[in-house]
Parts: sequence; structure tokens; C-alpha cells
Amino acid sequence: MADGIAFKLVTPAQVVFDGAATLVIAVTTEGEEGILPKHAPFLAALKPGILRANVLRDGASSRLELATSEGFMQALPDRVTVLVDEALAFDDVVVAEARERLAAATERQKEAAAGSEAYAREQAIVDFANAQLRLTGHR
Amino acid sequence: MPSVRDLRDRIRSLKNTQQITKAMKQVAAAKIRRAEEARKRARPYADALGEMLADLIAAVSSVDHPFMKPGNESAPAGVVLMSADKGLAGAFNSNVIHAAELFARGRSVRYYTVGIKARNAVRRMGISDQPNWPLGAASKIAVAREVANCVADDFVHGTISEIVVVSQKLVSMLSQRPQTCKLVPVLAEDLKAFATGDPQEQSGAARGAVEFSPSPEFVLSRLLPKYLEFTLYSAMLETDAAFFAAQLVAMTNATDNASKLIDELTIAMNNARQAAITKELLEIVGGAEALGVE
Repeated sequence: MADGIAFKLVTPAQVVFDGAATLVIAVTTEGEEGILPKHAPFLAALKPGILRANVLRDGASSRLELATSEGFMQALPDRVTVLVDEALAFDDVVVAEARERLAAATERQKEAAAGSEAYAREQAIVDFANAQLRLTGHR
Repeated sequence: MPSVRDLRDRIRSLKNTQQITKAMKQVAAAKIRRAEEARKRARPYADALGEMLADLIAAVSSVDHPFMKPGNESAPAGVVLMSADKGLAGAFNSNVIHAAELFARGRSVRYYTVGIKARNAVRRMGISDQPNWPLGAASKIAVAREVANCVADDFVHGTISEIVVVSQKLVSMLSQRPQTCKLVPVLAEDLKAFATGDPQEQSGAARGAVEFSPSPEFVLSRLLPKYLEFTLYSAMLETDAAFFAAQLVAMTNATDNASKLIDELTIAMNNARQAAITKELLEIVGGAEALGVE
């Protein structure tokens, strides 16, 4: 890992990625945040969106793009850890399912009061579904 | 004394039972392995969550989050009772249900059940409107999220005064013990214990200034529900693994007992058969003597 940092992407069910990266861009609640090696200690809440990273695989740089749900990102000078509920790669996204969830959540959201906990929860599902659709180019 | 045919029938039926218990034993052994793998896969998440919590606790002096404050005192306690969906695992389910009953003694509780056996037990208590979820769902994390959302909403709205989980702990492959633990209101000590469960943690305080986006309070308020969700998830995984361990033991015992019974019955059958033959011979000899045949 000469010019990369240890990057780990973890969900409760599995470790999605564990390797070296030269750049990690995630969508925090305040906007997109890019992490380069030697970043100052940093901890942020993530909102559903598309996580992008330049990762090193077998010495060659490659692009990693995943639709991620809510989570957290911790950056340290030598490593970045991203913690999300779900992370889906292009091939993992089931478009029909994402559309279905999007519609169902939008429907439920109408019944919830704006600003309530329930409303925010449905918003997260909407955002995650949208991220999946954007990742697969359906939006 | 039972006849030879009766004994033979009983042995045959025992052998059938033994085949079933042996098959269940093998299935349980395979499923433990799967359940253990799922637990192992959840480990890195717990480590990372613990590490982030350590940073946050160091940065935040007081937290203004409903989870950190005492709940509505006059409301019943919320008990998340986790059991297996199926039986045939010795006293596994009744032990955990008994632990919940012990906790409920002398106070009012509201049950949330995970697992069909827990649901049935609560129904037998005469409560039928408790929310319930199956343990063996395809996506345990999705179930854990639903449970967490449900209990968190009830807690915040003052329907319940606290959130307690009663589940089975896998002490070892041979021993499972029900445990009762309070999750919410979250105690700072509990968080610290969770945070220091991680070997890489020592660097937490030494890291010094950590920048939080947007603020440590906000990140912590996001992290606490995740902490609840993940704790429920890992309790579900542990209950699942413990169930198969209990079933493995129960089925091993059942298979051994069947073998023992088959052996005993086989001896009894041989005795009975020999007795019948001896009796017949004696009758023949006696008959021949009576006829005076030399």
C-alpha cells in the first residue's frame, strides 16, 4: 500500500470491500466528501447515495461505485471505514425491486407528518432507491 | 409379556424415529456452521461501530437524545422476547420464555416477540395484540430494523418505559443460557463497554482532535438507533446459532436413547423368541413321552 490508504466498507451482513484506495467519495448529510490519504481524523454521518472510490486492485487502479444506504464514515490518516446498512454494486441492484420500494415508501411518506421520525425513515428508503436507480442509469 | 411380533414392531418404529433424529442432528450441525459464519461476518461491523462510538463518547459531554434519557416511568417495560421458530431442541424455548416471565413478575410489560414459539407463548398468556416477527426470515437485518424501529417509536412516544431484550446466549456448543439485558435507556457504561470491545480502540483517545460532520451530537443521534438495531440483530444471530446448538444436543441424545432402547428391546425380543422355542420343544418332548415313543 505505497500510495493508498486501507479502505473498508462494512455492512452488518458482510465486508463488502477491504483493500487499498487512493480516493473515497461519500455523500454525507452535509454534501459529498472526498477522502484522500493522510486525511485528518474525521467522522461523518452518511445519507443514502452513491459511494465512489478509486481502489487499487492487483496494483492497478479501478473505480468502485456502489449505491449505499444510511451509514457512517470514519477517516483516519491511514484508513477509511465506511459503515452502511446496505451497499449494492451495479450487478446487485434489482431495478424492479428498487422501483417498488420507492413507490411504497413514497406512499407511506404521504401519511407521515413532515419532520417526524417516520417521515425521515421513508425519506431514507426513497433516497436509497433513487441512488440504486441512478447507479444503474435508470434515472 | 409382549409377543415377539409386538417387540419387532416397536423396534421397527424406533428405528424409524432414530433415522429422523439422526437426520435432524446432521441438519442442525450444518446449520450451526452457517449461523456461526453469519455471526463472524457481523463482527467487523461491530468493531467499526465500537470504534466510532469510542470517538464520539470522547467528544460528547452530554447527549440530548431520547435514548439517553429515562423513559416514561408509568408505562410498562418493553420486552423483546426472542425464541426459535421451531421446537425439538430440548428446553431451549421454554427456558427463554421462563426468563421473560421472571422479568415480568411484579411489573407490567409489553411484549415484542421474535420467533414463532415466543409468539405462541405470549398468546397463551392471554395477550394477542403484541407485535411479532419470525426469527427465520430470509433477511434477519431487515427484521432487526423493523423491530428496532417499532420499539424505538414506542419508547420515544412513551408507550414503554424501557427496552429489554430476552434472548438465548450461546455460552458454548453444549450450553445455552437465557440472558436479559436492558438496551434503552442507553447507559454510558454500556456504550463504553461496547466501544472498548475492540482491540484497535486504544488509539481512540490518543487520536486527539477528530472532526465531526456536522457535529458529534448529530452523528451520535444517528448512531444510537443503529446501535440498537445492530444489538438486536446480533441477539437474533446468537439466538439462531444457540437454537441449532441446542437442537444438535437434543437430537444427539434422542438418537442415543433410541439406540439404547433398540438394544434393550432386541434382547427382550430374543428372549421371548427363545422362550417360545423352548416352550414348543418342551411340549414336543412332553407329548412324545406321553405317547411312549422311545
